[in-house]
Amino acid sequence: MGTLLEVRDIHTFIGQFHILQGVSLEVPEGSITALLGRNGAGKTTTLKSILGLTPPREGRVLFAGEEIQGRRAYEIAAMGIGYVPENRAIFVNLTVEENLRIAERRRGDLKRRADFIFTLFPDLKRLYRLPGGQLSGGQQQMLAIARALVPENRLLLIDEPSEGLAPILIQELMEAIRRLSAEVTILLVDQNFQMTSRLADRYFLIDDGRTIRSGMMADLLKEPEVIRRYLGAVV
Amino acid sequence: MKRYRATFVFVLIVGSMVGLGYGLFGPQKATAAVLSGLTLAALYFLLGAGLSLIFGLMDVLNFAHGILFMIGAYIGYTIFGNPRLILNTAPLFLALAAGATVGGLLAQRIPDPTPRRAGSVARYLRYLLLLLAVAVAVWGVRGFPLRPLVAFEPTTAGGAVPTALAQEPIPRMLVRLVQLVLAGLLLGPVLAYWKQEGQRTSPWRPVALGAGLAALAVLLLLGRDVLERFLLGLSVDVRFLLALVTGAATGAALGVLLETSLIRPFYGRVVTQIVLTLGLMFVGAELVKFIWGKEGRPPMAVPSLFAESCRSPNLIAWLTERCSSIDVLGRAFPTYRLFIIAVGLVILIGVALLLKYSRLGMIVRAGVQDSAMVEALGINVRRVFTTVFALGSALAALGGVVAAPFVGVYPEMGGIFQLQAFIAVVIGGMGSYPGTAAGALVLGLARALGDTLVTTGIALPGMEQALRASPAVARASTVLIMAIVLLVRPSGIFGRKI
Repeated sequence: MGTLLEVRDIHTFIGQFHILQGVSLEVPEGSITALLGRNGAGKTTTLKSILGLTPPREGRVLFAGEEIQGRRAYEIAAMGIGYVPENRAIFVNLTVEENLRIAERRRGDLKRRADFIFTLFPDLKRLYRLPGGQLSGGQQQMLAIARALVPENRLLLIDEPSEGLAPILIQELMEAIRRLSAEVTILLVDQNFQMTSRLADRYFLIDDGRTIRSGMMADLLKEPEVIRRYLGAVV
Repeated sequence: MKRYRATFVFVLIVGSMVGLGYGLFGPQKATAAVLSGLTLAALYFLLGAGLSLIFGLMDVLNFAHGILFMIGAYIGYTIFGNPRLILNTAPLFLALAAGATVGGLLAQRIPDPTPRRAGSVARYLRYLLLLLAVAVAVWGVRGFPLRPLVAFEPTTAGGAVPTALAQEPIPRMLVRLVQLVLAGLLLGPVLAYWKQEGQRTSPWRPVALGAGLAALAVLLLLGRDVLERFLLGLSVDVRFLLALVTGAATGAALGVLLETSLIRPFYGRVVTQIVLTLGLMFVGAELVKFIWGKEGRPPMAVPSLFAESCRSPNLIAWLTERCSSIDVLGRAFPTYRLFIIAVGLVILIGVALLLKYSRLGMIVRAGVQDSAMVEALGINVRRVFTTVFALGSALAALGGVVAAPFVGVYPEMGGIFQLQAFIAVVIGGMGSYPGTAAGALVLGLARALGDTLVTTGIALPGMEQALRASPAVARASTVLIMAIVLLVRPSGIFGRKI
């Protein structure tokens, strides 16, 4: 099991603010890795820096052994990285079908993947012709993940998928993500520690823009003090 | 219900305007006013569509859009009436472009003078190069017989063309081409540094493109007499079609140039963009005055379908009689204006279909909402921006050519039509495509009805003379409409809540 994504000591600025001050992480292929940290720790910025939406000023990002920092976001994404952003970023004026079709990188991507997507999220089939803006929060989340599955991605960056979802929907979402992980490597960010701790194999913990801990999720669960201090969660 | 509120408001506005027109002026004059309004609306729409698309997708308020409309009109007019001017000047531009394309490669050889290393001498290299490039270009065009070429206008077909007149001998022109290629070679690296590109491109494409451009320049130059005789020998209809195509193509090319060189470095800096594009508007107007002179030209000749001086009783008779005007409720209405309306309609529907059904349209609709997410899907948004900018510019330029037989060409036309188009876009709702069409219609009708108010006036009971408005009222009517609409709906008729 090789390393699919490697982030080495990246520094990212947003305007004048030095948001990331040395984030490092490694994502082994074929697993779910959690990126943990409290609000404002720099989790979303880390994902955006990997993808080149907020390019890091220093440090290196390697995807499948290739340096990708400094490349344009579309080039990085086209190498096989799917992005499920925090606010879902569903295109409200596009139908569900168009929201999926726009993610095609080669003609016929959607056709090839339609069965897989519909077994994972059967609801989307029913909503196929509806504008994305008319979907509920949960349906939009499904669509956002489905959109990242249309092209053949090797890595998914999933940001706060459980945000604003009812508990029953979170169960469904977890099931979907677990099934996904058989196909694709996932770097997961979520405030819901109950969920991430059950899904992820490994974790990286960042605080104030720096990686401060990493290891196996099972080991972290044995340290409730750390969890309470950095995540404010109780196991 | 809420979904149809905008449509309802739009229908209400148009309905009340038309109703008012019929009530005040009677069916005869009101119908003529409505048709005139549609004509203006079509032109406003051709300009506004690009403005709206560009604003919606890129958040750029392009105050230089009217320039493209005007240059389109002038280029169309010139290729129609005086191709000699084009044939003698186009090679110069092509040579400069060829040099710049190849020169961009030099940027890869010379280490990039990074702007971040403040104080380094290399930082000023680009300005030095730019100065040198300008100097060489000036050297290349010095003494070029622009005035006689502009003044020389063989608008009629068939006549023998005195080739020696106003043209420089080929060898002298070839020297100029070499000088401009040189200027381009100096300019190329400057542009490449400016755009912060220049790495990771294969050298063959620029070289091939540059060679192609240079070859085209020489070919145009050597064949200038033959080409001119051929162009002027063509029928009016073909020349008109050629004017449309050339105008639109020039608009698209200028759009690409504008976007990649001057707009792209300033995305997200709204004030800079406004000042820059507004400045370009003035530069463009002065440039047009410099090349074509301060005074405008009379309306361009119309295609044969609209040329016979007679009045057809109806549309079907007109198709065979090809009259210049048609009978509308007992009044003559110029048929060419019907053509303008038709062009507006075709473009309206064409762009709507493009937006709805093509992949580009889908990307544009998505990008209007969230262009970063579109980029994150692996789509080169920058290229989409350039494409849309080119498309909008082509539409504006096309509008200019279509307007040329209607209003003629003059150096102020860019600013005048752009202002109206902006008002139309604001009335309709910034960034909304149906809104732009609606705004253009409202504005066109307002202007035409305002004009009728000036020429006819309102006959009030008990008064001997009709009450006439001053021409200023007609001009103010459009701004008045905008003020009323914005008071009621601050984001425009079809605009989203701000």
